[in-house]
Amino acid sequence: MSKLTSFLRERLPVDRAKLRELTNEPVPHHLKHGWFCLGGTPAYRFVVMIVTGILLAFYYEATPTRAWESVRTISEDVAYGWFLRSIHRWAATLMVAAVVLHQMRIFFTDAYRRPRELNWLIGMGLLHCTLGAGFTGYSLVYEQLSYWGATVAANLTDNVPWIGALLRRLLLGGDEYNAHTLSRFFVLHGAILPVTMIGLIVLHVTLIRLHGIAELRFKADQNSAPRFFDFFPDHLLTELAIGLVLMLLLGVLASLFPVPIGPRVDPLLTPDVIKPEWFFYVAFRWLKLFSERAAFASLGAIVVVMAAWPFIDGFIRRRRPGSEASVFVGIVAVLAIVGLTVWEALVAH
Amino acid sequence: MSLELKKVVIAALGLLFLASLVLVQKLEIDRRAVESHLVAEPIVVPAASKQCVDCHDQATPGLIDHWKGSTHAQKGVGCIECHQAEKGDADGFDHYGAHIAAIVTPLDCGRCHPTEAQEFGASHHAKAGNILASLDNLLAEVVEGSRVPMSPHSPTPGRPDVTRVNGLASVEAGCKQCHGSKVAMLGKDGALITVDDLKPDAHGKPTNLAVLADVQRRDGKPLMDSGTWPNTGLGRMNLDGSLGSCAACHSRHDFSARRARQPENCGKCHLGPDHPQKKIYEESKHGVAYRDLKEHMNLGAKEWVLGDDYSQAPTCATCHMSGNLRNGGKVTHDPGERISWTNRPPVSLAMDTDAKHAVIKETDPEKRAALIADGGSSWQEKRQRMTDVCMHCHPQDYVGSFYKQYDDLVILFNEKFAKPGQAIVAALRGQGLLTPQEFDEEIEWTWYYPWHHEGRRARHGASMMAPDYTHWHGMYEVADRFYVELIPQAREIAAHAAAGGKQAEADAVTKVIDDIIARPEHAWSKRKE
Amino acid sequence: MTHDPTAAQVTLAPTVPARRSFFARLAGFAMFASLVASYGTFAVMAGRFLLPTHSRRKAWRRVAEIGSFQPATTRTVVAPSGERIVVARCAINGASTPATVTVDDFVALSSTCPHLGCQVTFEPQHQRFFCPCHNGTFAPDGRATGGPPFEAGQSLPRYPLDLRANLLYIEVPLDGVAG
Repeated sequence: MSKLTSFLRERLPVDRAKLRELTNEPVPHHLKHGWFCLGGTPAYRFVVMIVTGILLAFYYEATPTRAWESVRTISEDVAYGWFLRSIHRWAATLMVAAVVLHQMRIFFTDAYRRPRELNWLIGMGLLHCTLGAGFTGYSLVYEQLSYWGATVAANLTDNVPWIGALLRRLLLGGDEYNAHTLSRFFVLHGAILPVTMIGLIVLHVTLIRLHGIAELRFKADQNSAPRFFDFFPDHLLTELAIGLVLMLLLGVLASLFPVPIGPRVDPLLTPDVIKPEWFFYVAFRWLKLFSERAAFASLGAIVVVMAAWPFIDGFIRRRRPGSEASVFVGIVAVLAIVGLTVWEALVAH
Repeated sequence: MSLELKKVVIAALGLLFLASLVLVQKLEIDRRAVESHLVAEPIVVPAASKQCVDCHDQATPGLIDHWKGSTHAQKGVGCIECHQAEKGDADGFDHYGAHIAAIVTPLDCGRCHPTEAQEFGASHHAKAGNILASLDNLLAEVVEGSRVPMSPHSPTPGRPDVTRVNGLASVEAGCKQCHGSKVAMLGKDGALITVDDLKPDAHGKPTNLAVLADVQRRDGKPLMDSGTWPNTGLGRMNLDGSLGSCAACHSRHDFSARRARQPENCGKCHLGPDHPQKKIYEESKHGVAYRDLKEHMNLGAKEWVLGDDYSQAPTCATCHMSGNLRNGGKVTHDPGERISWTNRPPVSLAMDTDAKHAVIKETDPEKRAALIADGGSSWQEKRQRMTDVCMHCHPQDYVGSFYKQYDDLVILFNEKFAKPGQAIVAALRGQGLLTPQEFDEEIEWTWYYPWHHEGRRARHGASMMAPDYTHWHGMYEVADRFYVELIPQAREIAAHAAAGGKQAEADAVTKVIDDIIARPEHAWSKRKE
Repeated sequence: MTHDPTAAQVTLAPTVPARRSFFARLAGFAMFASLVASYGTFAVMAGRFLLPTHSRRKAWRRVAEIGSFQPATTRTVVAPSGERIVVARCAINGASTPATVTVDDFVALSSTCPHLGCQVTFEPQHQRFFCPCHNGTFAPDGRATGGPPFEAGQSLPRYPLDLRANLLYIEVPLDGVAG
């Protein structure tokens, strides 16, 4: 035994004490409250997505002739295929929700402020990767929504100034939806986006580790209470418990509401009621409110403002110290997002 | 929260997660059980039929789709296997490199299904085309239509092409669609060329080759007489000398056994006022149970053996054709094998059949026994076969008593109405008070109803447990017709004859009627007269 | 070690009775067991997902009516898996008449080499089947005549045939990538 240990020690020259110190991050006491752990939730979902995604990729075939049939095979023929596919789909939905909630928490607790502006930017990148993965994900099923969603998205890309047409051709692998399109979506969904996200998550966590988690003090907390507690094992146990709750939730959702498979793509028939996944309802409704170009330009502007908010906010607060502008902006944004989503959900067209 | 408490919470959550996964496993097992039967075997178009399928997938895609859903397609039986004709076949023609025939006959099907073809060939079903001399045939050809050529009597606006009236239209679209046509090709002189002209040998090859030269052809394809084809009548008389059409029950081109097991399939013909067997079945407890439990009856099973694959309810096929546990699962394609009365004629006959599967009309008991012994079979054997079916659900004495009820009803009808009715009409005809022509006198219609429609309904109703058909649609109407119409009309004819100087003939007929009415079962009606 | 957990615990709970530590170990064990059981079950389900549902499916298919299948001729059957299978009827030798045809008069050779599964091809000039992987050779009746299959005494496998009601049936694989 000791021989094996020394064998390994020699080949893995890691100082255990140092490793412990590196990983055992001091956790601010407010994380004793579960609802401040929202950042870990999407990360956990991400792991679930990766695991189930790799499993599904064993059977999925990214060609127009076989895609729908292979999804049907997964859902109907392969053992537990329906369950894993449902988990993947429900995890995606919950991941988007968790990312948005996490961002809202960060925003309203001012955790994006100096010196953490860069991590906000990385977070924005993760948000868009998540949405992108969601979009390419449902494009792969090759049901009606997959095709028409992709067609509409590709045509919207045209509105990007200067390079719109080029982007569209790159996305579709041709002038319009064709035999190569599906494999592009598959590579985006299964390789480029996940790898990018892993990189961004590593950066995200590293920056958190370097800055330390933004600490919150509540009035109720007594000053005598310890300000930090240990990651090992205390916080790890919390995360384990949260992970189990998430898995339980997914398991129950997937078995009670297994994801169906819609009608196969018919390029000659746009369904009467066609909507993207719920997390695009905001943008979908927005696009119906204005002319295409104006809507697209304003969406772009909103995204840019969102990304640059830490700097804009800093600028405002330098001019007017103590300004509560960010809170108002945040409330308006949340109300707009919720309002547009609910609006879109309630109407057929 | 202490670390220990956290660990306990995690343990509990883990157990809940485990429980949810167990639920998933249960769902998976349920799903497997349902779906394991649903995965269809892949279809490969046999090489010889590839060309047919390629072209007909464009020309007649539905037909190809039907075939793709068939067991034939699964087992590698394509178009050519059934449609191929040999050189010398009467209706063979070259069609894009293949020599084929449009009409597939039991002789063709029998190449692969010899037992089925042989049983069917021996059945009454196969002889359904022989209705030439029957009363029904006379009705359709003469009374409803016309055997002599007819011209329209005034123009049909918009249809200047109407220059002749086909007097046999009712026969062709009616009778023959169930009974089967005598398939005919059009000759160059307009004459019809049928099996009678071709005189085919045992292999279906025509021996009279001279007549083949007279067949009208378009692109080599013989022109068929539209009065005889399309036709999937059960007793079709084919050009190759075979009788019948397998597609009558096993509709092309999916030839579904599943469909043939359902009463709706038999209902194409076993319906209407004269033999509403399907309606009778629907009224019976058997039919009611079938409607309720159809989904659970494994109708698509490979063998469909009663007692093994299902036992919820019988369909027509269950009792008359399909296999059951007690007979070792033997299916028969001769539905007469389990029928102990024939209720078709005015007076029901016991189903003793001779070597040729014809009902024995011989009355001498010894001669009857000899005919049965000489390759025939007795009604008792047939009833035993049916009893075997019944006994999957009913005890023997119950079945026996049911048969007593059925026999009693048949015999009551025979003795009280059928034989007397026959005797009265025979007396009228024997005394020359009726013309030999059927249906030209009212009493001939009057007598037709009680045996051909009402009496059959009564007897069929009793045979398949439909009380309303036995009584109100059956015996009640028979009695009504007998007392209110037949007897008065016969007496009137006699009175009329007496007035016309035919006193002796009138007396003879009146004596027959009086003797019948004097019988105790009719005595109740006497006071009225 | 700025954040030693054991040190923290010791300061928080200075006296640790034996009972407490027993429960602590029990809780730890329960947590561990529960985690292994639940995630383990999930992993087993994932494994079951990857495990092929069933081995290659097979079904009986009709080859021909023997009346139309002349002695010393062959028929090609395309299996749903895409495989092309040659079925041969042996030449009539003396006593054998069509009335006494048995299933043994027919042969359907697989083209899969019994050695390591490569596809053999027929070389008419040598009247033999040849396997390009390890130079195995087979006589037209399927007997190995050279190479590793000959050394191992193997023959080309035969597809099962059946003769019922004058119809020749063959059992063929249903699933395959060539189909």
